[in-house]
Amino acid sequence: MEIRPILSALRHNLTGALLIATQVALTLAIISNSASVIRERLAVSQRDSGVDAESRILTQRPILFSQIDLANLIQTDLDALRAIPGVESVTVTNQVPMGRSGWSSTFATERVPTAPNQSAGLYFDGGRLLETFGLKLVEGRGFRDDEIVNIDPKVQNPPPTGVLLTRRLAEALFPGQSQFVGRVFYQGNTPDSEELRVIGVIERFTTPWAQTGPGNEYAVVFPARYLNPFNHYVVRAAPGAEAQVRKAMEEALEKNEPGRVSNGQYSIQEMRDRRYRGERALAWLLVSVTVFLLGVTASGIVGMASLWVNLRRKQIGVRRALGATRGDIVRYFLTENLIITSAGIAVGVLAAWGLNGVLMSELSVPRLPLDYLLSGVLLMLLLGVVAVLGPALRAAKLSPALATRSV
Amino acid sequence: MLQMDGVQKIYRTDLVQTYALRSLSLRVAEGEFVAVTGPSGSGKTTFLNIAGLLETFEAGTYRLDGEDVSKLSDHARSRLRNVKIGFIFQSFNLIPDLNVYDNVDVPLRYRGMAGSERKRRITEALERVGLASRHQHLPSQLSGGQQQRVAIARALAGSPRILLADEPTGNLDSLMAREVMNMLEEINAQGTTIVMVTHDPELARRVHRNIHVMDGQVSDLDQRLAA
Amino acid sequence: MLGYYLQLGFRNLRRSPVLTALIILTLAVGVAASMSTLTVLYMMSGDPIPQKSSRLLTLKLDNYPLDFNDTDEKLPGILTWTDVRNLREDAKGLRRTGLYGISGIVYPNKEGVKNFFADGVAVDADFFAMMDAPFIAGGAWTAAEDRSEARVAVIAAPLAEKLFGKESAIGRNLRMDSEEFRVVGVLHDWKPTPKFYRMDGNSSAGSDADDIFIPLSTALAAHRDVSGNTSCYSNADPGFEGLMRSECIWLRYWVELGSEAERAEYRDYLSAYVQRQKQLGRLPRPDKSALYNVREWLQEIEVVDDDTRLQTWLAFGFLSVCLVNTIGLLLAKFTARTAEIGVRRALGATRSQIFLQYLSEAAALGLVGSIIGVAGAFGMLHLLAKQSPNLEQYARMDPTMLATTVLLSVLAAVIAGLLPTLRATQVVPALQLKSQ
Repeated sequence: MEIRPILSALRHNLTGALLIATQVALTLAIISNSASVIRERLAVSQRDSGVDAESRILTQRPILFSQIDLANLIQTDLDALRAIPGVESVTVTNQVPMGRSGWSSTFATERVPTAPNQSAGLYFDGGRLLETFGLKLVEGRGFRDDEIVNIDPKVQNPPPTGVLLTRRLAEALFPGQSQFVGRVFYQGNTPDSEELRVIGVIERFTTPWAQTGPGNEYAVVFPARYLNPFNHYVVRAAPGAEAQVRKAMEEALEKNEPGRVSNGQYSIQEMRDRRYRGERALAWLLVSVTVFLLGVTASGIVGMASLWVNLRRKQIGVRRALGATRGDIVRYFLTENLIITSAGIAVGVLAAWGLNGVLMSELSVPRLPLDYLLSGVLLMLLLGVVAVLGPALRAAKLSPALATRSV
Repeated sequence: MLQMDGVQKIYRTDLVQTYALRSLSLRVAEGEFVAVTGPSGSGKTTFLNIAGLLETFEAGTYRLDGEDVSKLSDHARSRLRNVKIGFIFQSFNLIPDLNVYDNVDVPLRYRGMAGSERKRRITEALERVGLASRHQHLPSQLSGGQQQRVAIARALAGSPRILLADEPTGNLDSLMAREVMNMLEEINAQGTTIVMVTHDPELARRVHRNIHVMDGQVSDLDQRLAA
Repeated sequence: MLGYYLQLGFRNLRRSPVLTALIILTLAVGVAASMSTLTVLYMMSGDPIPQKSSRLLTLKLDNYPLDFNDTDEKLPGILTWTDVRNLREDAKGLRRTGLYGISGIVYPNKEGVKNFFADGVAVDADFFAMMDAPFIAGGAWTAAEDRSEARVAVIAAPLAEKLFGKESAIGRNLRMDSEEFRVVGVLHDWKPTPKFYRMDGNSSAGSDADDIFIPLSTALAAHRDVSGNTSCYSNADPGFEGLMRSECIWLRYWVELGSEAERAEYRDYLSAYVQRQKQLGRLPRPDKSALYNVREWLQEIEVVDDDTRLQTWLAFGFLSVCLVNTIGLLLAKFTARTAEIGVRRALGATRSQIFLQYLSEAAALGLVGSIIGVAGAFGMLHLLAKQSPNLEQYARMDPTMLATTVLLSVLAAVIAGLLPTLRATQVVPALQLKSQ
């Protein structure tokens, strides 16, 4: 196709061409970076929590107020929950994955302050925690029922020493190792830190905060019931029994201690939705911005191309009179648009990288993957062609007889 | 070379239909230089549009260079215009964004000609109209007469069998008009058939034959049957 | 004359309606997106208490054990009870308060209202005067009640209505857990945005308004559990008594100075305090104590998070694309009217008259765009608030932002109109369109 004559024609419509190219460049820079943030956020929000069937694991946190004999009340509650038809397993714990608040502690392999330490979520297994959440063990064993102790915060208890930890935490504490059962580590890194011993390794178990960094899979599980009024009861409902279990759970807990205040009942799936609401909101905001931007840019191309077709009606007639086929006319406008879009894309690629650099240093946005940039380039080319097709087809329909009209 | 029989052209709007050509029949032989004359609104331009394959018509037949072109597709008509017909317009119709050289190049591009061949033809055509030195100029930098000479060069570069001219001197002063007319006669002398629409009796006298159009018909029986 | 131009401008909106609609839509979308995110940013970085934000100070102390291996992390903004008690007793500054989050079950003495869980704060009597918290009934408790660990409470208006309906809440009893509190004051709908006095960078701590305020001394005496972060870097004895004696940090401290000028003096006092504690064997590490006024504090805890900043960047990138687009579309709209401009010029319009006329037309477009844009911004804010509860407190349009929005979109349209208008003034006078 005739590139050079198109270029010299473009020189005479430079303002419009520059506007379109600028728009293409800005759009490409923004959407490719947005796409990479969208992917990152959605990927984060879909991370495996280690819980095998999130929608069937229900948790409720009734505040126990008759603070007399909490150990007994918890046991009564657990028995009542276990008796509900459709319940496969029940546990009591101090926090739940993605529940957004809970306990953490630091753990180290040496009792010296200079030793490296890892901050990890601290879970209490009031019995059957692995079974209820459906967590997988990759090494060692889970707790036996007789290992579960009651911890009363009002008195000093000897804490349990045999614990479970997640594989990620084990790998962070014991770099380069692959066997962890029997190893010793400490809660804290001071001389009086408690000594702990690994009895099992959990494949994956996310913390209540589900942090964005690797720490989201650092957790330690103690075999204990912590006797304060803020525990979570967790039940595992059989497939299909969720609704009925939800209702029965509410009723059973109310019956055991009438007038209790409950902070709501959630499945782990719902906890996930609440935890990642921000990530998803941002992702959807970016998606809608991207769609709008593409629409705006397309409208700009359509507007400018229509203008050029109108301004060149006569010229198009002359070209047709001189033997241009309809295809030639369409090709002319497509080529012209491709030249403009490509110029915009060339600048846009640089702008996308530049913007990404700034965003990375200022706002901890991920590095822009090359394939996202390439997809953005292809998308802009496609957008240009589709947007200009309408005006170009209209141009092709103009009659060659326009050439002989005087105005 | 050009043969029309009973060609009818109707312009329709929602309410009325107007006969632009009632039943036009005429012939132009190869090598002729013919002037088509007639008052405003007589159908001269419509005739030229149909002759130049710019418009279709409702009834009748039209043979161009021995080929029936009445029922050709838009694409085929474009090819024919490109190869066999050269146009010269009253308002020159040069493309303002392109320089002289590129303007002459336009029809050759659509023919898909090789670059060296195009260059030879463009240079030759521009030399023929005496504007070889101006090939870098934009149309706006040329006088009206020069612009029309570029348009002639553009029409000639493709070596058409027939040249259709629409009031070629209408926008020019008399000196330039004479110059352009001389050029057309020269081209005709070298064998190109020319059909020129004009209302200028001076010009009409200089050609081989006049065809007078009135109310969308050739008004003079002799002329209709001539050649 | 300007009236005539505007009138022409509005009439011309109807010409080339598709182009006009595109221009208005582009402007409106750009304005809605940028203004809604800017509003959130503005509310987040706003000064919640401008009249005295430079005189309200909070502080940080480094009480880590000597051999603590701290990475480069910031010191937490919470303190031990020991330090808060000492600072209160030293009584420097005009007013002062210690503070920690509490929660409990409220037992309404009312038909049809179930027991519920409420959040609150334990504060000193000065708190309300320091924060300029507005009362609709009653007032703060007295310093004497602080000292006597009185069971008194100040509650927020929504809670008062929930518990006591239209009746006055003053003097009525509020039962929280096993304790009865006498209501001495009801706060007007008080929602400092952000809730700076409790925020610590953990954004979920700062979203909801506090409903119940009780004396700090009373809360401590009742061993009321801490609702909020408690960090221990060395072992503590069991129980609440243990927590109070420990080096665990869990309270905040705010002081109000008589004037900004007293800050240097207070800084000296704080350094001296750290030295005194060192002599007592506490605060073993080098003195890293720091003072922050309200604005500095909001900066320190990074109220404006990266995502908000990202959204703002994005919105302005979006607005710039919309502007470029508007320039292009206006250029298209005006170029299509070259003939008209030529005729106007021929009829005697001067360049500046053409300039004003077409700029007015751009402004008219901007005005229509801004009305739709403002509606869009309200819609976007509503969506933002619904998407994220943490954002809800910020996603509110105030008059300043509303005016800014309207001004910005008209300005955007006028700026976008400049280039096309300048091009329009270059058209030469002519009574008819020259053929190309």
